Amino acid sequence: MSIRIVTDSTADLPADLVQELNISIVPSNVVIDDVNYRDGIDLTPDEFYQRLTAGPRLPTTSQPSVGAFQAVYQGLLEQGHDIVSLHVSGKLSGTVNSAVQAKAALGDPNIAIIDSNLASIALALVVVKAAHAARQSDSYEEVAEQARLTVGQTGVFFFVDTLEYLQKGGRIGKAQAFVGSLLHVKPILTLQDGEVHPLERQRNRERAIRRLVDLTRERAPVQQIAVSYSTEPAAAADLRGRLTDLLPPEQIITSRFGPAIGTYVGPGALGLAYTAAG
Amino acid sequence: METLCGADFAQALTAGFRCLERYRDTINALNVYPVPDGDTGTNMLLTMRAGIPQDAPAPDAAVGDVAARLADGAFWEARGNSGVILSQFFKGIAQGLVGREVCAPADLTAAFQAATDAAYRAVGNPVEGTMLTVIRCAAESLEKEPQPGAAADIVAHWKTALAAAQIALDNTPDLLPRLKEAGVVDAGGMGIVAILGGAYAHLAGQDIEQLDLGFPAAAGDPAQFTIAAVESDFLDASTEAQWGYCTQFLIQGESLDLEQVRSDLAQTADSLVIVGDEQVIRVHLHIADPGSALTYGVSLGELSQIKIDNMNLQNQDWAAGHQAARPASSGPPPAGLALVAVAPGDGLVQLFRDSGCAAVVSGGQTMNPSVAQLVNAAAASGGREVILLPNNKNVAITATQAAERENNDQQLYVIPTRTVAQGVAAVLAFNAQLPAAANLQAMQSAVAAVVSIEVTRAVRDTTLDGVAVAEGDYMGLVEGDLAVVQDTPEAALLSALAGVGLTDDHIVTIYRGSDAAPEQAELIARQIEEQTTGIQVDLVYGGQPHYPYFAAVE
Repeated sequence: MSIRIVTDSTADLPADLVQELNISIVPSNVVIDDVNYRDGIDLTPDEFYQRLTAGPRLPTTSQPSVGAFQAVYQGLLEQGHDIVSLHVSGKLSGTVNSAVQAKAALGDPNIAIIDSNLASIALALVVVKAAHAARQSDSYEEVAEQARLTVGQTGVFFFVDTLEYLQKGGRIGKAQAFVGSLLHVKPILTLQDGEVHPLERQRNRERAIRRLVDLTRERAPVQQIAVSYSTEPAAAADLRGRLTDLLPPEQIITSRFGPAIGTYVGPGALGLAYTAAG
Repeated sequence: METLCGADFAQALTAGFRCLERYRDTINALNVYPVPDGDTGTNMLLTMRAGIPQDAPAPDAAVGDVAARLADGAFWEARGNSGVILSQFFKGIAQGLVGREVCAPADLTAAFQAATDAAYRAVGNPVEGTMLTVIRCAAESLEKEPQPGAAADIVAHWKTALAAAQIALDNTPDLLPRLKEAGVVDAGGMGIVAILGGAYAHLAGQDIEQLDLGFPAAAGDPAQFTIAAVESDFLDASTEAQWGYCTQFLIQGESLDLEQVRSDLAQTADSLVIVGDEQVIRVHLHIADPGSALTYGVSLGELSQIKIDNMNLQNQDWAAGHQAARPASSGPPPAGLALVAVAPGDGLVQLFRDSGCAAVVSGGQTMNPSVAQLVNAAAASGGREVILLPNNKNVAITATQAAERENNDQQLYVIPTRTVAQGVAAVLAFNAQLPAAANLQAMQSAVAAVVSIEVTRAVRDTTLDGVAVAEGDYMGLVEGDLAVVQDTPEAALLSALAGVGLTDDHIVTIYRGSDAAPEQAELIARQIEEQTTGIQVDLVYGGQPHYPYFAAVE
């Protein structure tokens, strides 16, 4: 019995990894000017960020439908796979609910659905690790258990150019405290207990990038790292270059915040996720 | 006279207070640094005023009770280093006289000894040649006096203390080189001599107006008059909190506009502390008609946790001889960790509020807030734990006093920030989600990483650290020490920054004062950017008085 990993588009997984590791992605929905786009399918990140900054109204997102999950699950089940389905924090999105309902509608087959309490590249690290584990296991429950372990070892630090998108999108969580400063600070944020939490405020991008690196060093040794950006690939490459003492550069995943996550972090955001060793 | 009864002691204190008032301007003029600052005479006067009996005490009042009331009032109104030391001096006097119906010479000796101990304990790092020395010498002179049983005369005893204090005051420049360089005696020490002198004159049946303490009763320095004008505004500001109703409530609603609420309520109320978000706003204010504030509040949403205290009655209680005016008791049950800062100028007040301070007390170098003002702001912030940012070296000690008062409902911590630049660094390192200990550590590291620059105008000619300063010169202070003297504030700022040594990795934040022209400030920011390619220069309106520029280098 082989095992397949399912996740959702908020994991911001690079396409080559999706292909290499046989991962199935259920797309979230991004609505811009009353038109629904499937995240990562109908809308490229470049188009999205262009419209995000140009448009008068902010985009909104919605979880994948139960039907979308059902279709993906059914296809894999028919091929004889068991499924480990890893998803964005239930405190940020209703995605897990759709997955749970789809599973029930299919008569409760062998699908382990896990709320990662994470999002974006942090979720991606859990997915990648689970995909490797799936290759060496014939028990989906064992892979699910491995994924739960990875969730506990995985964290994310990121900063945004402005908290406006998180605030207007209703995902700002405890980072509300960092809203409003006459100084143009870069707020460094994390996900804690599935929600956005404030960590600290830095005075410019350079200091913020340094803090992302230092905060990650404090968690060393690490077994996985991913970096991600919304609009500035050079900043992500720079960040990656500063982490080579923690992992060889070819092992560091570089990703981009897709439309669903981009709706909340906005342009100019930069993030780093890690999985601690052991 | 062999002993002082409570009424004698109260009258002597009042005479001491009047004498301090008479010499206030002389004392104010004695600052070593020729910068406009929290004048020692004013600070001591405001501190003492709160403990002086309003009405004549009953003829049978115990001297211990009079002293206790003095100490209590002075504690809450203490402001500035000299005010805090004075309040501790009174606290020691009260401890020495506790339980005494009358004060015999031996009691006075013990009281001065206790007062000396308390005053020295008030400062972390006692320096000789200051008012501490004057207090100690007065106490030591009493110990050498004949003990009870010999010719015990309380008035002679007091005279001994006064004479010793006067000699000690004259000697302060010999103990403290910076006094000698500036050609002045210690200002706080002069305040002590004035108080002791006034009290002695009363006991000896002399007229205070005729009293000669060896220094002039009025300063002829015209530069002081501008500062005195600011001070009198501040005096008014600090007394207006004593009337009307202290009113607190929560508004729960939707899309509440914090700034709008603040500006609406500011039209009729004082001592406003408005905190919250779009869903809930906590209001604290002093107002003549609390009903109007509640009517306004209810027009915005649901009201809860309403608390109204009549401060007029509190004052009447005080006048009736009960305890001195206490800070208004805290309203809604406090929760969480809050930040309270002291800031001069509307821009800086807004900056600190905007950056996460639950309450900001307006004040600083020329307007030292009292212990009571800080404690009130902390109470109004609603935090179970509160971190205070004094943001001025002359306010830091007051904040420490505030933190040391007993309060089971609220724990106060102080990050002894000495400048606005340090305060901003600290507030940006604050994270209410983390425990107080983690915050204190993070904020202290942030403070240590910033270099503070202040630019101000010399208010008189002097020599400082070997540098001649002429009245009207602009001085650039780095970490509180004189670094450069220039003709314009902009030149002083540039030259002080050059002394720090800027690199492209630095962030320079310039806080423009109310006296600095926006175009000049903009020009100088561009100039710094041109001189050091890659450097980040942020220009912010601070609105602080007397200091055209504050700057932070991080």
